[in-house]
Amino acid sequence: MEFKDYYQILGVARDASAEAIKKAFRKLARKYHPDVSKEPDAEARMKEVNEAYAVLADTEKRAAYDQLGHDYHAGQDFRPPPDWDAGFEFTGRGFSGAESAEFSDFFSQLFGHMGGQGGGFRARGEDHHAKILLDLEVAYRGGKRAITLRVPRQDARGRVALADHSLNVRIPKGVHAGQVIRLAGQGAPGVGGGPAGDLYLEVHFEPHPRYRVEDRDVYATLPVTPWEAALGATVKASVPDGAVEVRIPAASRSGGKLRLKRRGIPGEPPGDLYLVLEIHLPPADAPRARELYETMARELAFDPRRNQGG
Amino acid sequence: MSDELEALLLERAALTLEELAAGCCVEVSWVVARVQADVLHDNPPTDPALWSFSGRDLLRLRRIRALERDFDANPELAALVADLVEELDRLRTRLSRAGLATD
Repeated sequence: MEFKDYYQILGVARDASAEAIKKAFRKLARKYHPDVSKEPDAEARMKEVNEAYAVLADTEKRAAYDQLGHDYHAGQDFRPPPDWDAGFEFTGRGFSGAESAEFSDFFSQLFGHMGGQGGGFRARGEDHHAKILLDLEVAYRGGKRAITLRVPRQDARGRVALADHSLNVRIPKGVHAGQVIRLAGQGAPGVGGGPAGDLYLEVHFEPHPRYRVEDRDVYATLPVTPWEAALGATVKASVPDGAVEVRIPAASRSGGKLRLKRRGIPGEPPGDLYLVLEIHLPPADAPRARELYETMARELAFDPRRNQGG
Repeated sequence: MSDELEALLLERAALTLEELAAGCCVEVSWVVARVQADVLHDNPPTDPALWSFSGRDLLRLRRIRALERDFDANPELAALVADLVEELDRLRTRLSRAGLATD
């Protein structure tokens, strides 16, 4: 296990004041805020910053960390000596147990047993949260997905380390981005015989090369020829739940939308599917094609710039 | 690998007040104060016993809690930031719907 230099992560000196630590944390929390940051690894960096702050903003944890880590530097191989934390009392503050479960193995090894079992009380386990990336097909049909989460596990000595937890999940049809699905009893185990917490999964979709999703509505581009758009036509289009015949009205324009009601993501009410027309010009790369274009140029009084003045 | 698990889609009125509080790792009183400060989008009935919440409410309140904790923000400011983040999400979705990159 690698030693983590929490001072280096927050960019502060080892003797920084509590105020300086808070200031540095807030600056980084803004920089790596996962909702707005443009940094490529914002989410991972934010976790690291949260972890460093959870230790350095807490007087007891900071004192224990300082005592343990004064001879170590970032990345160095590290094993905590047995009973290194004797004489310190850790309390969970700021970040909940479920939140700190997302921190590194290094953190779990050092502070993972805080607020652990004891006292003979009974309590429900904490809820856990994670994001899940699904494909659009699942939204239409539902389906099974295997997901793997990192969860804290306690060993016989009460130490906590992160372990992979694999779940086979049946996803109901009708999920869409930003929704939450719940897996009852798959959060942290209860204490003293209490029930386990739940696992909440926030749904996101894998980007799809053809379909774009907004709530339950689905958008796709439908390439058409100039004559299909001008004269009207019935064409076959593939859609997420199969293929459909769609009628393109005469005098359609590029960017025009055809709405297929209730063919979006299922639900109450179901979404709609929109096919956005994109007119593709045939290339003038053969004599006959050039001839046809020249005929149109001669015989059609068409000026797409007539309303632009000049 | 464990047996197959049934996932429940949290739509409207899917969570009780206690479930929402547990999902946000906070006390029930924290949620009551935020709801009464109108930080959620829908105004709930006056009696907290009649309250129910959606999965989106859960995500919004978790975001607000993190903003309050990380920046010592008051609930109204955290709600304002949550509004802006949600609006940003909507606009990014619309940009991507229009085939435009959002970077």
